[in-house]
Amino acid sequence: MDPTSSDGDRAAPDGAPVDGKNGGGPTARALRSRGTRRTRRTLLSGRLGLRARVTLTFAIGAFGLSALMAGITYFTARATFLNERQSAEQRQAFANAALVQNALRSPATQVTQLIESVDTLPGSRSVLRTGGQWYATSISVGQSAIPAGERVLVLSGTPASQLFTLGGSPQLVIGVPLPAVHAAYFEVFSLDELAGTLRALAFALAAAALVTTIAGAAVGRWAASRALRPLAGLTDAAVAIAGGELDTRVDGGDDADLEELAAAFNRMTANLQDRIEREARFTSDVSHELRSPLTTLTATVSVLESHREQLAPRARSALDLLDGDLRRFTRMVDDLLEISRFDAGSAELSLDEVDPGELVRQAVAASAPVDAGGTRGPVTFPVEVGSGVDGLRLRVDKRRFERVLANLMENASLYAGGVTRVVVDRQPPLVAYAPVPATDIRVVVEDHGPGIPPAERGHLFERFYRGGRAGQRASGQGTGLGLSLVAEHVRLHGGRVWSEDAAGGGTRFVVELPLQPTGDDGVDGGLDVEMRA
Amino acid sequence: MSRILIVEDDERIRSSMALALEEEGYSVDGVGSGEEAVAKFGTEPYELVLIDLMLPGMDGFEACRTLRRQSTVPVIMVTARSDTHDVVAGLEAGADDYVTKPFVAKELAARIRALLRRSRLDDDGPDVLAFGDVEIEPDAGVVRRAGDEVHCTRTEFRLLCELANHPGKVLSREQLLERVWGYDYFGDGRLVDVHVRRLRTKVEPDPASPRFILTVRGMGYKLAV
Repeated sequence: MDPTSSDGDRAAPDGAPVDGKNGGGPTARALRSRGTRRTRRTLLSGRLGLRARVTLTFAIGAFGLSALMAGITYFTARATFLNERQSAEQRQAFANAALVQNALRSPATQVTQLIESVDTLPGSRSVLRTGGQWYATSISVGQSAIPAGERVLVLSGTPASQLFTLGGSPQLVIGVPLPAVHAAYFEVFSLDELAGTLRALAFALAAAALVTTIAGAAVGRWAASRALRPLAGLTDAAVAIAGGELDTRVDGGDDADLEELAAAFNRMTANLQDRIEREARFTSDVSHELRSPLTTLTATVSVLESHREQLAPRARSALDLLDGDLRRFTRMVDDLLEISRFDAGSAELSLDEVDPGELVRQAVAASAPVDAGGTRGPVTFPVEVGSGVDGLRLRVDKRRFERVLANLMENASLYAGGVTRVVVDRQPPLVAYAPVPATDIRVVVEDHGPGIPPAERGHLFERFYRGGRAGQRASGQGTGLGLSLVAEHVRLHGGRVWSEDAAGGGTRFVVELPLQPTGDDGVDGGLDVEMRA
Repeated sequence: MSRILIVEDDERIRSSMALALEEEGYSVDGVGSGEEAVAKFGTEPYELVLIDLMLPGMDGFEACRTLRRQSTVPVIMVTARSDTHDVVAGLEAGADDYVTKPFVAKELAARIRALLRRSRLDDDGPDVLAFGDVEIEPDAGVVRRAGDEVHCTRTEFRLLCELANHPGKVLSREQLLERVWGYDYFGDGRLVDVHVRRLRTKVEPDPASPRFILTVRGMGYKLAV
């Protein structure tokens, strides 16, 4: 398989790629792992969100209030209307009753004509009982329509009025006994009109209540959003902090409630920052302090080395061991210092514009194994530079890039019998019929070693991870930080690195670096802005 | 035998460095403070000085500046911190180069040899190089500006000659490191940057907006013709 033309890698490379875009850095990792252990204090309970609950509360409140007001209005209006209507009808009924009584005094009066002549309002009907007979102006409203209780009461000599329904419509009956002529006069009023008015009123009030409820909900939502707006600021700040920007602070404004929260948040962040910086500083200080004795040791061992020929064979072996582990110790201190800079967030790119192919060739040559005499050996594997690389310029921190390649090559020689080839090409690959501008440079470092089980690939870039390789012959030679530094250097450039199976056995490490590193502010490795310290 | 002065307050480091450098064929004296170094340098001829940055009393930067006022002797800074800050500040103070602890004696010796090598200029070069009102006599090691002699360190002088020898041609930082310092591809480009800046203060009318020694973005430096 040609590694430079495998397109599927970007979508699903084997083993989690270490990505510059969503990694978050060691700081964020540390924060995450610390946060998950303890029980999180629940700020808000319930299934509904705070905003939804405030909205609901406002809506219910508005509904309750408006329903109460509507109810009071309706019943008051109803009572008033009925009272007015009743007294008006009563006046009319008594007036008509007096008329009827006068007429009945004259024996010549035709009762039927009399009842027809009674002046009634539209919608009201008269019923008269006289001489043991019932007379009515309407067929539908006769003796039987009048409620029995009313009839009895009035016939026994008491004036009375009663509300009742007839055929589904409300009616008012007023009964006036006329004892002087042994008669009783009833007048039945239809309240349909009043009922219609009340219905309209009820409808209007219900509509008003509905509108009020909706308005309440809207006000609630607005108020909740407004009240929660500082929370959005807090969320942004927390996200920034989780992303490694530890000097993020929030501003409580002049709100007394928020000020307290902001102060607590800022205190927490400051403590966290302090702690993380202290840890990073400690690592850095330890590394620096170790350098003094290391300097003495290194210088002394070099003196012994130059008198090597005078040493006994056993002493010579001891010196070799001492020398080897001294180098390793020095590397470890360097690596720790480097990693503490990443942890403290003080790692900076020093960018130069270079020819990618030349860069890789030089870096490979500079990382070739050193023999006992201190001279670099030849490069024993091919460095293939794809044709698509021609003319491309890569902005890169050369020192970091050289460390990346050196660490990958060292990893291969420790665990996989050495690098078998290094391939450089552009990404996406150059296609003649559909030219797409290159965005990245891809460097592949291949070996023919035993390969890495898929389960271990995700951990490869962790610090001091040795996994199943711990028992192998060469273990103990590296610092345990090499691949994690590879990941950090690549991430700083905004690139990605991962491992996958090489064709024909072995492993290939793939490094992708953007031609223009993310966050590149145009500062040019010190050429233009020379004082960057 | 070249004489080297080591300024280092840690007695053990001083002794071991002396041992290692003597092994490389140098004659080495050691002192423990900047004050002693200045005093000793005044009385005896040293060809190169190694100064640790962290010294009690007068620190390494100050000691270096003091020596620079008296001499163009090559100075190598020894630092435990390779952070940009210390390295640049040390070079600003006048050091020709720096090494980071712990250093390999052979590497240090190689750098010392490179700095001690008198002149790498071509013998068949011109006798006098000139640009603007600046005159350089490579063989005599003299730089004059408007007739007055300008004091340059040896490294600055070599850098100036290298640029003046190729007027109008862009020299990358790698090329300059190789030709002036004698280092390979992965030398520290900050050496070049700081020395160029120092050189500008000596030969440019306005060092903030140089007219002769120009920066070519992303490529290197060139001498304007």
